[in-house]
Amino acid sequence: MNSSNADGKRRQRFDRLVSVYYQDMFRFAAWLCRDRAIAEDVVQEALLRAWKSLDSLRDDGAAKHWLLTIVRRENARYFEKRRLDTVDIDNLTASQSALLAEAPNEELADLRKAIFGLDDDYREPLVLQVLMGYSTKEIGEMMNLQQGAVLTRLHRARLKLRHNVAQDERS
Amino acid sequence: MSAAGDKMNCEEYQQAIAADPAFDGGAAHVVDCPACQSFRREIEALNIGIAKAMQIDVPPLQMPDLTNVERDNVVPMKKRSHKLLWFALAATVVLATSIGIRMSGMGQHYDSLPEAVLAHLDHEPRSLVVTNVGVSEEQLARAVPAKYARLDNSGPLITYARTCKINGEDVPHLVMQGEYGPVTVLLMPHEKIAEAMPVEGINVKGVILPVGDGSVAIIGEREERLGPIEQQIVNAVTWTT
Repeated sequence: MNSSNADGKRRQRFDRLVSVYYQDMFRFAAWLCRDRAIAEDVVQEALLRAWKSLDSLRDDGAAKHWLLTIVRRENARYFEKRRLDTVDIDNLTASQSALLAEAPNEELADLRKAIFGLDDDYREPLVLQVLMGYSTKEIGEMMNLQQGAVLTRLHRARLKLRHNVAQDERS
Repeated sequence: MSAAGDKMNCEEYQQAIAADPAFDGGAAHVVDCPACQSFRREIEALNIGIAKAMQIDVPPLQMPDLTNVERDNVVPMKKRSHKLLWFALAATVVLATSIGIRMSGMGQHYDSLPEAVLAHLDHEPRSLVVTNVGVSEEQLARAVPAKYARLDNSGPLITYARTCKINGEDVPHLVMQGEYGPVTVLLMPHEKIAEAMPVEGINVKGVILPVGDGSVAIIGEREERLGPIEQQIVNAVTWTT
């Protein structure tokens, strides 16, 4: 196989993987950083990084895990570089508010806001479990946590959401 | 929480459901507990709401320009060109002359343990792949023979395991999937060191930690947070030599 053929196949492989997992990459980035504009930047960086190191992905069955791990890393890099403050839920920027504004009804808007307000340590495993479909064991591997710690965070995350939603309903 | 899930109380059951609404244990408890039945229904409904709330709109994909982006050099050894191999061989000879590698018997011995560890990593690039396919228990048992060490395999996913030689001694060579990529772990029951030794490669960094009468090398990507992995590995290894 000549080099341009090989490059073409490499590009085809990359495009195929990205087309399958792009939505997951964006949503994961958005829920990690809670900012639509930053999520777009993080995903762009993640795509570049993934393209550079595509040859290290031996098994395309592991692509989702691999791409999400790159998104996670790029998100951390983004915040490390800029030393951004954590999101203040009461003083959101337009780009942060945009994430909350799209909910189709009030109930979902409240829930989205409650998820938005969770600490990173609780929000991330919840996103990985509910949105990405990972088991608690897999989440532990991604986040470098014991499975017990993941279970505790997920349990606390749901109890916090339940509490916050009930509070919103009362008020 | 009971292992069988059949002797749970309300607190244990509700914790398990809140952590994972798909939890299917505790049937013996929940069948007679209206409070837990109600809690379960509530959490399941909440979870459906969470899933819907997380489905934010995704903008159209804008692929960055990849035409001039250099790829990382992660080509497996077997695919490297002969030219590159000859160059690598020549470079090794020069290096051997300049830093005084000493040869002994069948194996190479290096002036320092970190040098030997880095050289070994360079010879097994195929181990450094990103995958979610773990090795089997049998592969792991073969790579970490009971005569050298016992490993509690409840930590990160192990995706590569074989026995290698470093300084003429058998060394279980494992690769785990870290947060930033593959993390290499070398269990060296015969390499006693007095204190931790840093390992600095071109694209990797790590440490060799003293563990009893042996040591363990843990090496990952530069960005990798090795601290938690180091702790897990040190706690998981018991020498049996």
